[in-house]
Amino acid sequence: MSARYPHWRTMLLPDRLDERVRSCIKKRGFFALSDPQMQAIPLILDEKNIVLIAPTGTGKTESAMIPVFNALLSTPSSGGIRALYITPLRSLNRDILSRMEWWCRELSLSIGVRHGDTPASERRRQALAPPELLITTPETLQALFMGKRLRRHLAGIRYVIVDEIHELAGSKRGAQLAVALERLHVYAGNFQRIGLSATVGNPDEIGRFLCGARPFTVVRVPVAKDLEIAVKFAGESFKQQVETLSSMLGRKGSTLVFVNTRVTAEALGHELFERGDVEVHHGSLSRDVRIDAEERFKRGEINTLICTSSMELGIDIGRVDHVIQFGSPREVARLIQRVGRAGHQLHTVSRGTILATGFSDLLESLVIARRARANEIENVIPHMNAADVLANQIAGISVEYGEIERERVREIIGRSHVFSDSVSLLEDVCLQMQEHRLIRLDGSRIITTARARKYLAGNLSMIHDERKVPVFDMVSRRTVGTLDESFVVGWVHTGAVFITKGQLWRVIEIADGKLTVEPARKVQGELPSWEGEQIPVPYSIAREVGGVRRNRTIRDYTSEPAGIRYAENFLLDMDKNRSRVPTDQLITLENTDEGVICNICAGHKANEAFGRVISIILSAKFGTTVGIELDAYRILLRLPSHIRAADVRDALDGLDPAHMPGIIRLALKRTALFKWKLVQVAKKFGAIDPDADFERISIQKLLDFFDGTVIQQEAYRELLSEYMDIDTAAAIVELVRKGEITVTTGRLSIIGAEGLLTSRDEIPPPTADQAVIAAVRRRLESDEVVLCCMNCRDWKSRTVVSRVPATPQCPKCGARLIAALKPWEEPLCAVAGKKKKSDEERATELRLIKNANIVLSSGKKAVIALAARGVGPENASRIIGTLADGDAFYREILKAERNYIQTHRFWQ
Amino acid sequence: MNLQFISDGPALIVENRTRVLVVADLHFGIESDLADHGWHFSSRSAERVKKVCACIETTNPDLLLLLGDVKHSIPKTTRQEFFEIPGILSAFRDLVPIMVIPGNHDIAIGRFLHDGELLPKAGAIIDGVAYLHGHTIPSPGLLGHLIIAGHHHPMVSLHDEVGCSLRAPAYLAAELDPAKLRRAEKKGTRRKTRVLFMPAFNEVAGFDILRIIRHPFSPLSRSIRIDTAEVFLTEGTYVGPVSALEDDVAA
Repeated sequence: MSARYPHWRTMLLPDRLDERVRSCIKKRGFFALSDPQMQAIPLILDEKNIVLIAPTGTGKTESAMIPVFNALLSTPSSGGIRALYITPLRSLNRDILSRMEWWCRELSLSIGVRHGDTPASERRRQALAPPELLITTPETLQALFMGKRLRRHLAGIRYVIVDEIHELAGSKRGAQLAVALERLHVYAGNFQRIGLSATVGNPDEIGRFLCGARPFTVVRVPVAKDLEIAVKFAGESFKQQVETLSSMLGRKGSTLVFVNTRVTAEALGHELFERGDVEVHHGSLSRDVRIDAEERFKRGEINTLICTSSMELGIDIGRVDHVIQFGSPREVARLIQRVGRAGHQLHTVSRGTILATGFSDLLESLVIARRARANEIENVIPHMNAADVLANQIAGISVEYGEIERERVREIIGRSHVFSDSVSLLEDVCLQMQEHRLIRLDGSRIITTARARKYLAGNLSMIHDERKVPVFDMVSRRTVGTLDESFVVGWVHTGAVFITKGQLWRVIEIADGKLTVEPARKVQGELPSWEGEQIPVPYSIAREVGGVRRNRTIRDYTSEPAGIRYAENFLLDMDKNRSRVPTDQLITLENTDEGVICNICAGHKANEAFGRVISIILSAKFGTTVGIELDAYRILLRLPSHIRAADVRDALDGLDPAHMPGIIRLALKRTALFKWKLVQVAKKFGAIDPDADFERISIQKLLDFFDGTVIQQEAYRELLSEYMDIDTAAAIVELVRKGEITVTTGRLSIIGAEGLLTSRDEIPPPTADQAVIAAVRRRLESDEVVLCCMNCRDWKSRTVVSRVPATPQCPKCGARLIAALKPWEEPLCAVAGKKKKSDEERATELRLIKNANIVLSSGKKAVIALAARGVGPENASRIIGTLADGDAFYREILKAERNYIQTHRFWQ
Repeated sequence: MNLQFISDGPALIVENRTRVLVVADLHFGIESDLADHGWHFSSRSAERVKKVCACIETTNPDLLLLLGDVKHSIPKTTRQEFFEIPGILSAFRDLVPIMVIPGNHDIAIGRFLHDGELLPKAGAIIDGVAYLHGHTIPSPGLLGHLIIAGHHHPMVSLHDEVGCSLRAPAYLAAELDPAKLRRAEKKGTRRKTRVLFMPAFNEVAGFDILRIIRHPFSPLSRSIRIDTAEVFLTEGTYVGPVSALEDDVAA
């Protein structure tokens, strides 16, 4: 192995390392140490906390473990666990175990793995005689605090290694782990913390995440020099793209093809199946199928594996010569991580190709590739003060201690970076938890309850272990897909319409754990759809793409002729069509049949925020529902046909950026997304059990009970930080105000029509008032009415209100003196034609004339008013006399009907 | 007779000679049942009592009629109910005389009531209007009157062009078909019997009106003439006939 490398180094650290470790290193064939190993080993030997940032496959695990083994050999065993190795995945645990077993055997150290799959016998053995090195997951670490015997074994821990820490730091799992490390600190005192991370933009934040306020050193091995990234345009149609991909697979060596969705993975796998050397690997496949594919790839029986993020982490699958990213990788970090899988040996260059699949996709890929080469990588943002994580940890701590002073809890969690300032949050969370009896508060003490242990058993993990509800189509009698249970609980009810798999469905029944639906025919306007979560394109990338569009600097980014030709022609076509090209300095609003497309280069999260704000404003102004779909470069607002781009511009012009955060909180509350998140948070809070019954209970109302609680606040916090970026959206509006971004309106362009790559539609519903008025309006429109001419008194006609012309006229005599009667008043027409009339009949005639006079002066409006319940000529002229129009007119009718309904006459 | 719709309930004021405030389906103690189904909330009884008291104070009735399902748990009375209900009822009594028509959830409610407060399960006529909880076959004596019933917790979903935008408690009014009730009409009463299903006062409960119509679950709901069924919102807004709602769904 060493012979392949021209500049291998001699060992620089022999005298500091134990003789046994040195001989192991030699036995293993490590005559050369990688850069990370050279830099990290002395620091770890010096007992420093470190974060080691280096690409996958550069021997990070050994960098951490060689000095740890050295230290374990030089100090006597205390009988408990001495080092903890934490990874985010069980499959990684198994991988690390098989690599470390060799070292431990050679060095006579004991090693064990413990996670969800570990059999009970092994667990018991570990409780009695714990291994010196324990490999585990963050969730299983939680479980270690619950057992009395296991807790004792924690006291001797001197080293904690967190592998793939970048995966954890930005998630709630990570926040939970950060607290767990501080809980461990209570037993073990100051232990050495070692974080192993892929390349990130902000390594210091990772360090703080790992160590809290303790000192740490960052060891950073730059990736750029080892990366070779090409971008290739693969054609516009899927068929072309498959052909391009297929032609690239023919070469010598093995290839990993990364795709962004499982659907794409399946589609490509299907097309390439006949080659016989391709397998598909993604999270929906069973474990056996996945492991089989991994093994066959490792043994060289197949040379291509099509995979999703399932293959991103450092699971060993042998030699990978080339990585292909099918479609834009969306983020720089993701690209680097994926391409890093190629050349999985020391000092080999990682080669990767992005196959771009369209105009936006191509420009985005070029920008991401440039940023990867320039080492401009996204930051990882930890969840600060996540209330549900805190609730989970308070429950854990209360079970661990039985009862504990609140001040102590504050000390423990306060040592972690993610809860370093959480005094008031702790109070709120404790009070909320007492509400659902997860803890009891007794003065300054927190006391555990019977529910807490049960809760913990179901909630060790902060991963939403989402039950999937099958969607059963009653018409075709088959299951058409699944929905997240939280979505079903929060939003779906009988009669609700939603979109999934690109189709509209109406809910017939929610029972027996499944959702029975029928296809819905209404295609106008749109509704909550559920397509799962997507990888968002960051603002910085979308912005740079806008800059490329403005300066047309495609040649600065690539020299590949096909890509240059395609992109330049695309922009030329825009010019030919006299469409203005939306850029980082130009927002274009384009009219389409479905509504208005807003082309804004702002990335998913800012567009999500902007789209919701603008839709709530339009919805309030025009009293209509607004559907939204979006991607990183455009927002489609689904609108009724009379609302046009100019109206959207007016709304945008009138928008005060300072009001946007307030507006979005209002807008969010009624959306499916919010309710989905609320249910998830409430479950993690223990307010809703994992297996709660949602079929027989009117959940919609129950969710209102969370109004103003810390649970609701957490749902907002997470949505506003993870799903949308209101600050950036407001900053863009501010730039529009200052004139630095121009806004134009126009017809649909080819950029606007390019298609929405992702969509998550919501319905920000109008006020209830509008729904009521719409219902009443429909009823009145379909009411029957009898028109009868009070001039010639020789014509009458029975029809429905909607068919009555604006100014009804008698076809016989041409007069407009037409009385509008309710169907049961039809006999009265005969009275009008009579020659001789009784007093009573004369009174009737007078009423009819009065009726006809109102129709004469107000036309159809009068007919509508007269069709209402209990509205006669007097009421009708009063309603019309208010001069109310539109909704106000119907509101007047409602008022009159209400009066009538509350009187005796109606109820007999 | 006059009806007044109190939307801050929902509740009804029914007035001939006396002013009766009618409140249906309070379901005090529902929280322990919700907890059994995995939903954990602290008791909201205090808020609910406050809301009823506010109704009493704004409408100043002569009588508060609780139209069944005052409590929630069956068949046992839970600890929560045992502790809460006496206080709740006396809070009402402090303001106005009360009467209770027992519902299917009101097993052994008598132990919390004073003499004369408990009306028969089969319904009663007060001041010319018939009252019934709604889970039983109405006694023949009620026919020919307007019957006000609880038990069904009606709710309505209204749609605009695009989708459902309001789900709210609602009243369902309809004529009864005596033939379906399998009770000979009382001789001499030619008058139609109308029934008005009240929405639940409890904020959690609710069945969609279309579900009540399509899958009736009581003798009363099985016996209505669907072509006469009409829907009102809690403030008295006339939404329209049920058939219009069905059009909505089919559209």
